[in-house]
Amino acid sequence: MRAFNAELSKLFSLPGIWLAFLIGVFAPAVIAALDSMAQKEEIIAGVSTRLSEVGYIGLGLGVQGVIILGVLAVSSEYLAEGNETGGGQQITTSLTVVSSRIHFLLAKAGAVTVISILLSVVAIMTTVSATHLVLGEYTPAFEWPKLLGAVCYWAFTALLAFGITVLTKHGMIPLAVLIINTSFVSFSFLLSKVTKLALYLPDRAGFEMFMFLSNRFLTPFTGGLVMFAWVVVLFIAAAIVFHRRDVAS
Amino acid sequence: MITIHNLVKRRGTQEILSGISFKARPGRVTGFLGPNGAGKSSTLRILLGLDRATSGNALIDGKPFAELHNPLTTIGAALDGSGAHRMRTGRAHLRWMAHAAGLSRSRVEEVLDIVGLTNAAGKRVGKYSLGMGRRLGMAAALLGDPKILVLDEPINGLDPEGIRWIRTFLRERAASGNTVLLSSHLMGELAATVDDVVIIHHGKIVADGTLEEVIGNHSTLEEAFFALTSGLAGDVV
Amino acid sequence: MSFPSSKKITRILGAELDKLVTLPSIWLTLTGTFILNLLLAAAFTSVGLQGAAGTQSILNIGLASMRYLQAGFIILGILATCSEYNGGQIRTTLTTIPWRGVQLSTKHLALEIITIPAAFIMAASGVLYTFTMMRDTAVVIEIGTMIKTLLGATGYLTCTTLLSAAIGALFRRTTPALVVLLGYYFVVSPLTRDFPPSIRKCFPDTAGYYMYMPPSTDEINFLTPMQGAGISMLWTLICITVAIVLFRKRDA
Repeated sequence: MRAFNAELSKLFSLPGIWLAFLIGVFAPAVIAALDSMAQKEEIIAGVSTRLSEVGYIGLGLGVQGVIILGVLAVSSEYLAEGNETGGGQQITTSLTVVSSRIHFLLAKAGAVTVISILLSVVAIMTTVSATHLVLGEYTPAFEWPKLLGAVCYWAFTALLAFGITVLTKHGMIPLAVLIINTSFVSFSFLLSKVTKLALYLPDRAGFEMFMFLSNRFLTPFTGGLVMFAWVVVLFIAAAIVFHRRDVAS
Repeated sequence: MITIHNLVKRRGTQEILSGISFKARPGRVTGFLGPNGAGKSSTLRILLGLDRATSGNALIDGKPFAELHNPLTTIGAALDGSGAHRMRTGRAHLRWMAHAAGLSRSRVEEVLDIVGLTNAAGKRVGKYSLGMGRRLGMAAALLGDPKILVLDEPINGLDPEGIRWIRTFLRERAASGNTVLLSSHLMGELAATVDDVVIIHHGKIVADGTLEEVIGNHSTLEEAFFALTSGLAGDVV
Repeated sequence: MSFPSSKKITRILGAELDKLVTLPSIWLTLTGTFILNLLLAAAFTSVGLQGAAGTQSILNIGLASMRYLQAGFIILGILATCSEYNGGQIRTTLTTIPWRGVQLSTKHLALEIITIPAAFIMAASGVLYTFTMMRDTAVVIEIGTMIKTLLGATGYLTCTTLLSAAIGALFRRTTPALVVLLGYYFVVSPLTRDFPPSIRKCFPDTAGYYMYMPPSTDEINFLTPMQGAGISMLWTLICITVAIVLFRKRDA
């Protein structure tokens, strides 16, 4: 519990976190608003085929904020200070304060999960208001199960980012890969056109939780389960590597 | 010769340097002392053109740093750390510097030999110990065989052999007519190495003269230092 | 400030090239991007093969990976400039090469020297792969068009790399530079797809798109390749200039 609080306070005192918060709160709203504006005529006429995606698309594509959160939580530990301070990294201090490495990792993952859930709730509020602002009375109702799916998607994505960064130590690759993958030019979507197996990739499966795509493959619950399975596997791999790794390497 | 004249540096509302002036003469080792936060690093950074002064100037043989034709052959500096990218090897680091200054690769090997890093030169700088990193910084400073050496905490992290080597090395360099400006916290070592002493406190020079003049009636340099720096009003850093 | 002679500039260029070549992450990025390019070319080609025969354009498919490829080059650009701030190397650089404007410009030049062949090889290999796979089913293209398109692609990737390097020099840390650049190229830019074309064609990436996208008959091309190149290069030059001005004014 103490470790969890420590990790929370560490996260909140990171300067980059405010960037993550800013993006996490406003990006989904902006994306949803722009998308709704583009679809406005179709919706009013009643011929929109993407009615069920209104608003949710913002939550699906605005997930960059939690990615930055998950990556920064780990990469800030490995940021080596200049040689002035002896080339030390925060990870050495962190590991001397907790009883075991797994404890440390779990506490950190817990902190990341809690903050990303909070962030997603705020994002949902801004997205819903933005969609209302644009579409007025034509806004479709936002159902609870799908919103819950969106919250889960955000939390799982943050944990995926977290796990990958534990493996790579440096934040550049996970940041680049995940930002591209959750943008409009996603790898997963491309691969899903090549092979059906790509539909089991975490973000593609996770999308099923709250977005009705034209080619539905998994039920929302199964989609969530697949994404969760990815998170668990990645976390176990990260935990094993982290446990055995020398800090100096 | 290094001439610092009325250097003032303000950062926001804080005045870091309040009109400091001193000289570092050729043929002598000048020690630059001061408590933490006194303004030593700021002075050296302004001298080397890394930071901009609000007013005043810092001249090297009468010219500011940016006007030197080949800085590496005129003034060599070893500031904090190794000054090298952690992923590069020590040898690669020195090679690009030599390339920029028009020096040959054999000079790189010479300098590595002088500081004793020949065996470690093929390893990544990130794997160096603190002392090895300082040696690399020293090697970089010596690359152009400059007439002026500016060293910030050169002894930091060195083993006893390295400490003795630096002491004799710097004295030899001064004896052959070069200028050495060295900043350090280790009074005992400094007293055995320097000829002139400049003490800075809260951005002002509080002592400037030969070692004997500064020690004056005190027994050691350390005593003199504390007398000069804690006698003033202001917080003890 | 004394402006260095041409011999000195050559030496500085050589030193900057040395720096880039001895940085392992540069090679890792280039290799990773190359492999990614091949994988994407394979993916896009197999998607294209599923489509109707005779309607696919080899160039369109071969260069479809460009949008992902530019990510690798963005990373390359950021690494080139942000690596200076690792381990305090910027102090060593500035005490060896105090002429800041020249130093940053030559760094960009050195980056360009490495990027141009790399970009050409990657673009060409992608197109070549698609060509060998789809030779029989696709529309015939002339060598001249292919060369021009490849040169356009190389030019676009180089401009992107230099622009990213300038942004990296502005931010001095990789994370904000990466977030801003990737956020622009991959999130903001696609979102503005619905904006009127008169505004859109002024953006660096949309203008750059016209540098390499072969002219098609069924869509209106708002810019010729040369115009697209001009706008891209203008953006790059502006960013580099801002970076140099700030570099000269700021403390190291």
